[in-house]
Amino acid sequence: MPKIVGIDLGTTNSLVAIVEDGTPRVIPGADGNMLVPSVIYFDEGGNVLVGNDAKAKMVEKPTNTIFSIKRFMGKGIEDVREDLPLLPFDVSPDSEHIIRLKIFGRDYTPPELSAFILRELKRNAEAALGEEIKNAVITVPAYFNDAQRQATKDAGRIAGLDVLRIVNEPTAASLAYGLDKKNQGTIAVYDFGGGTFDISILKLSDGIFEVLSTAGDTHLGGDDIDEQLIRLVLGDLGRTPDVHTIPAIRKAVNKTKEDLSSGDEAEIVVEQLQYRRPITRAEFDKLIDPTIERTLRPCRLALQDAGLRTSDIEEVVMVGGSTRIPLVRQRVQELFGRVPHTELNPDEVVALGAAVQADILAGGKRDMLLLDVTPLSLGIETMGGVMSKIIPRNSTIPASATEMFTTFIEGQTNVKIHVLQGERELVKDSRSLAQFDLKDIPPMPAGMPRIEVKFLIDADGILSVAAQEQRTGKYQSIEVKPTYGLTDEQVEHMILESFEYAEADIEARLVIESRNEAETVLNATAKGTADEHYGELSAEERAEISAAVQHLRQVMRSDNHQAIREGIERLGQATMKLAELIMNSAISKALKDKRVREIQ
Amino acid sequence: MDYFEVFGLPRVLGIESATLERAFHDLSRKYHPDYFTTASEAEQAQALRMTALLNDAYRTLRHPVRRVEYLVSLEGFKPDGSKVPKSLLMEVFEINEKLEEVKTGNASVEEIDSLRALIHQKRDKFDTELQAASQEWDELLKSGAPEAKRKEQLAKLTEILSESSYIRNLERDLEGH
Repeated sequence: MPKIVGIDLGTTNSLVAIVEDGTPRVIPGADGNMLVPSVIYFDEGGNVLVGNDAKAKMVEKPTNTIFSIKRFMGKGIEDVREDLPLLPFDVSPDSEHIIRLKIFGRDYTPPELSAFILRELKRNAEAALGEEIKNAVITVPAYFNDAQRQATKDAGRIAGLDVLRIVNEPTAASLAYGLDKKNQGTIAVYDFGGGTFDISILKLSDGIFEVLSTAGDTHLGGDDIDEQLIRLVLGDLGRTPDVHTIPAIRKAVNKTKEDLSSGDEAEIVVEQLQYRRPITRAEFDKLIDPTIERTLRPCRLALQDAGLRTSDIEEVVMVGGSTRIPLVRQRVQELFGRVPHTELNPDEVVALGAAVQADILAGGKRDMLLLDVTPLSLGIETMGGVMSKIIPRNSTIPASATEMFTTFIEGQTNVKIHVLQGERELVKDSRSLAQFDLKDIPPMPAGMPRIEVKFLIDADGILSVAAQEQRTGKYQSIEVKPTYGLTDEQVEHMILESFEYAEADIEARLVIESRNEAETVLNATAKGTADEHYGELSAEERAEISAAVQHLRQVMRSDNHQAIREGIERLGQATMKLAELIMNSAISKALKDKRVREIQ
Repeated sequence: MDYFEVFGLPRVLGIESATLERAFHDLSRKYHPDYFTTASEAEQAQALRMTALLNDAYRTLRHPVRRVEYLVSLEGFKPDGSKVPKSLLMEVFEINEKLEEVKTGNASVEEIDSLRALIHQKRDKFDTELQAASQEWDELLKSGAPEAKRKEQLAKLTEILSESSYIRNLERDLEGH
């Protein structure tokens, strides 16, 4: 059985984890960090950086450093209109149904951008595990709708991953917590991350993790708290947002927010604007209280849907970086009347849970089973623009519903079905999911065909539809037009394009690595030539060092990593004697020091 | 396979929720797609289909009213709102008028509370009736009563459902406002 990894594709950070010998662990990146910032940097030459290297470019290169892309998954431009003024991205005009960011003249959709992050995680896992990784479980916010889930799956495919399961983040977290905890009782998972909020109520019994209800807001997270602080700074400065100052302010307030999780006061410092402002915890709390209040309403709704009171909840588990904020902990404690669990690292617990679910799928653990629910009711458009619900929210998935359709005109061969998600009564207030076009219906008098349509929500929370004409027994062909998503052909096309990236990626990475190494060698050489021992070299030896330095500087400008490697090699040879001289003198000096100490 | 058959049950209405839950968990462990990731495509499709059916069945049968609705429809009966006694319609009409005041924000907290109490009282009455009629159905089934008797009981259950649906709609309107 090939290995299956668990991936937490987060708004701010992403992680990959695996179960080995029954224990889940997070796999660090090449730089040793567990968290890979969900940031992607593009340069003019088409090179792409992901993670901490990309994050380092956020202030300097705001328009081509993409972050928080998860907030754009499965959305159209109208959904994010309010956020755009504070974001430095160039949005393509062709963004009505899928947001497209224009980067050096090329349009990228959120699944393509997310695929860069997934590819980085895949590489990290492959490097650590020493084998190719093709299968993954990816987590999403529990409150993600069909389009957002599909977009996540598409991202996986573009990155060359077979996404075996989409798992809800709070549920994954409960799996990680459930490992060493008691196995009975009712728990609430409060998951407040960088961009999204979820609450899930679960019942645990003998290894079955049954979600009773879930609620949330896929546009509510730490980013909103940052934005409140950004607006505070902009207010002080009396400025309207501009592309070049916002990233610096964002970075500054992010630090302030973190400082205020441990200290009672902090400062917002934006050096490039010569801006400083002290802020106390009390001021901060007052500013963010309305945002935190917005998380409590879904909590009450989830309890109501589960038919429970707060006193029925035996444990509360905190997940997501934003739960480090003291006021968040305080509010949650007040609501549930008990101290929430914060033992596991809130940044890692979802990835660990995803790895546990991956292990279940791989056949490792059969004593545990997750029974999750669909967060939103599924319905179809009926006469008069009314949404008729066919699968209610909080139904355990997989779930299905069967509806009968017929024709209105004699000889009609097509029937259109508009599928929606949401809780409102009217179509115009619901989220359009897709148009299903039933084709090739045998021509009959109006009202004669009896077309049975089966709607099936699978274990990933994604809808599929099958239709059969009852009189002829013929299965109907169905054309699916997702309202906010990519068609299969578009995804296929992106997969093909991504192959170029996979190769260009390796190439770019080698160039960057060799350049970094060249920098290090050049710095060391500069130190060496300033050393007193440099004078002990012959004129030819010194000339060769200068020539090698010049040569390396020259090849560093190219994108040819082999030439750079050769340059490094040549400089290494040229400085070998110098290095020996310095080393020997350092050793004899160390020995001398030692002797001096021994004498004392 | 109907929902009762999924659980290996006769078409009874008195189903203990703890027993049903245990059966649901056991069957989930048997069918769930999570356990078929490495199986053939046909087996995966079968697991998906069976688990969806199991979940649909559990969602319906665990709920005492939905359970009755399912039973009567399975037996070919259909709740019909037009056959409801006039007196009930009059009552519903009056309650609806008060509800309008609540919706337009012209009702005091006390008025809303008393309206809620009134609706709950009506709902509880129907729930009690439905429960009693459900028990009668189970007894008829157990004693092997003739089909005519059973049909009569199904008609009675259907009638209670038709009437109580008005009250449940009122309740939903009140809480949803």
